[in-house]
Amino acid sequence: MLPRLVVLLAALLGLRLRSCAHGTELPRPPSVWFEAEFFHHVLHWTPIPNQSESTYYEVELLVYGVEPWKSIPSCSQTLMLSCDLTMVTLDLYHNDGYRAKVRAVDGNQHSNWTSTSTRFSKDEVNLTVGSVKLEMHNGVILGKIQPPRPKMAPEGNTYESIFPHFREYEIAIRKVPEHYKFTNKKVKQENFSFPAPGELGEFCVKVKPSVGSRTNKGIWSEEECIVLSQHYFTMTNLSIFFTFVLLLCGPLAYLLTLQLYMRQRGKLPTVLVFKKPSPFSLINQLPSSETQDTIHPLDEEAFSKVSPELRNSELHGSTDSGFGSAKPSLQTEEPQFLLPVPHPQAGGTLGKGAPLELESSCNSGSSNSTDSGICLQEPSLSLGTGPNWEQQVGSNSQGQDDSGIGLVQNSEMQPGDVQGGSALGHVSPLEPEVTEEEDPAMAAFQGYLKQTRDTEEEAAKAGCLEEESSSTDGLGPQFRTCLDAEEGRPPPALAKGYLKQDPPEMTLDPSGAPAGQWNQLTEEWSLLSLTSGGDLGISDWSFAHDLGPLDCVAAPGSLLGSFDSDLVTLPLISSLHSNE
Amino acid sequence: MKAQRVSLWLLGAILLLCSVHARGLRRCLISMDMHQIEETFQEIKRAIQAKDTFQNVTILSTSEFLHSIKPLDVCCVTKSLLEFYVDRVFKDHQEVNPQILRKISSIANSFLYMQKALQQCQEQRLCHCGQEATNATRIIHDNYNQLEVRSAAIKSLGELDLFLAWIGKNHQGTSTA
Repeated sequence: MLPRLVVLLAALLGLRLRSCAHGTELPRPPSVWFEAEFFHHVLHWTPIPNQSESTYYEVELLVYGVEPWKSIPSCSQTLMLSCDLTMVTLDLYHNDGYRAKVRAVDGNQHSNWTSTSTRFSKDEVNLTVGSVKLEMHNGVILGKIQPPRPKMAPEGNTYESIFPHFREYEIAIRKVPEHYKFTNKKVKQENFSFPAPGELGEFCVKVKPSVGSRTNKGIWSEEECIVLSQHYFTMTNLSIFFTFVLLLCGPLAYLLTLQLYMRQRGKLPTVLVFKKPSPFSLINQLPSSETQDTIHPLDEEAFSKVSPELRNSELHGSTDSGFGSAKPSLQTEEPQFLLPVPHPQAGGTLGKGAPLELESSCNSGSSNSTDSGICLQEPSLSLGTGPNWEQQVGSNSQGQDDSGIGLVQNSEMQPGDVQGGSALGHVSPLEPEVTEEEDPAMAAFQGYLKQTRDTEEEAAKAGCLEEESSSTDGLGPQFRTCLDAEEGRPPPALAKGYLKQDPPEMTLDPSGAPAGQWNQLTEEWSLLSLTSGGDLGISDWSFAHDLGPLDCVAAPGSLLGSFDSDLVTLPLISSLHSNE
Repeated sequence: MKAQRVSLWLLGAILLLCSVHARGLRRCLISMDMHQIEETFQEIKRAIQAKDTFQNVTILSTSEFLHSIKPLDVCCVTKSLLEFYVDRVFKDHQEVNPQILRKISSIANSFLYMQKALQQCQEQRLCHCGQEATNATRIIHDNYNQLEVRSAAIKSLGELDLFLAWIGKNHQGTSTA
């Protein structure tokens, strides 16, 4: 009896245990919950303790208030602990919620259901932000928040439509090395801006959304960083910089170009410089001359001093003022040219005016010439050397005849004596001492007289011609010969005028003026006008000086006045060589 | 003359509609911060709703019940539901946990305040109960009676969020959705 009962009891207990094991074979999942974001509803559950590889979980969903539980087969996969139920919970935002339950199944065994502890409703959706974009504008950081845009959301179910009011965003800003501070900013729209802290570096921003009228939780977005760098090269800065550069460099460049242009324009060719003879050119030619503006007649004494020096000097070249003599003998002789000194007593006006004009005209004419520089001019020629020159040039008939220095006189002067201007340079009216004696006569022969074709001179010319012929050189000192003929002695230097040294092509009229000039040597200067028609530019005064004895100069009552010693030292004066 | 008549008729019709609509618009609004109550509920929601084992039954959410109430009946239905919760649900629920009890008490106090606000509207005869409102109240009571008292109370407490959302939607004017 008893053993039978024990066996029966054991069998019953065994059956019961088995049944219990069946029922409690699989434990139920401990917990089931929803983790939901905007249209991303995921059901999670914890696994059962003794989970095998073949354990899978069944999920059922219930619309709260609607009877049947709906099974979700897509979640029934082995070892799956979560399941996306978005597609079956699309009405979450319009109904009163869902309920879900999960149970473990392993083979023939299944566990009890474990349902979500709460009714899955719209309140359980955690709010998130789609994206945050940061921009930098003029020192202000602008941010734009993009709400989530899930793909599973049905048409028309946007974040803004589900939560139309009281959308808020909390913004946290930090500088890169630092951490987030709790002083966050809350904005009530999807745009926000905050001034750049003014520091360079990287700034990071994160946003947490929320709805004012709801209790939904918000989740911080990911960090969005922006780097603030010093924009020196902004468009405005660059444009301002370039405008300033243009403003500064424009006028400078303009001025530079203008100056360059003016310089080039201002450079006058040397040939034309003569028109404005500087007072210094004569000085250069007569450097030792103290009174450069005045030409003093050769002093007999001074000349006598100089003459020995100059006798044997062969002064040629550029320093020669043109007192070149064709005859070599002449060269050895003393410079015979005598410059009528512009006597201050006589012809004061001349004296005054002369120097200036002398200089001016002489410079222009003698700049390129071999003239000694002694330039005799008339003060009346103050108007300009140009016209004077022109006058001389114009008077070809007379100028050409003159072989020596021609005196250009005004009409004021004795026009009769001076036939127009000398062909070449102005001849400053030098007032030799003779002029003092015979003013009227001298006035006519101030300085170098232009050798005119006066009849009274012709006679002298005739005389002179004979001797002139002796002078081989066409540019010979015809004057000298004439003088010699007349006076029978070496004519004073005064008598020696300037013989124009005509170029080879030029034909000097030997019988012309020079002869006539020297007829009056005793009392007056015989001026040899330099007749070189084409040598106006240069005071091509070929002074044919009588290279005879200097006693001409020393002759008393010589026409020549005191010759400035300084002048004497001038090579030009001394070198009465014919220019060749 | 015809034009004048037509215009006058139109004007009269507009005025009539406006008056009718205004009567509806002249709702009895509860100027209360529902948000605070909702937050309080959220704190105890999990504890309360976890105890709700009858998950396929609902009391307030029957056939989109709350959403189908017309604006004219809002005042009446609100008043009725407030009475329902205060007189039956809060009394039937036996809460052991003091913290949860404290929060339930705060919610109950808020409901009392709302009841007083609606009472003024009723004195002004702005809270007229129509037939549909009366029917709606009866349904709720029937649902509540089908369950056991404790289960019903728990379930009703668990559905407070629905009620609060409905109140916020209908009584906050145009400020809430």
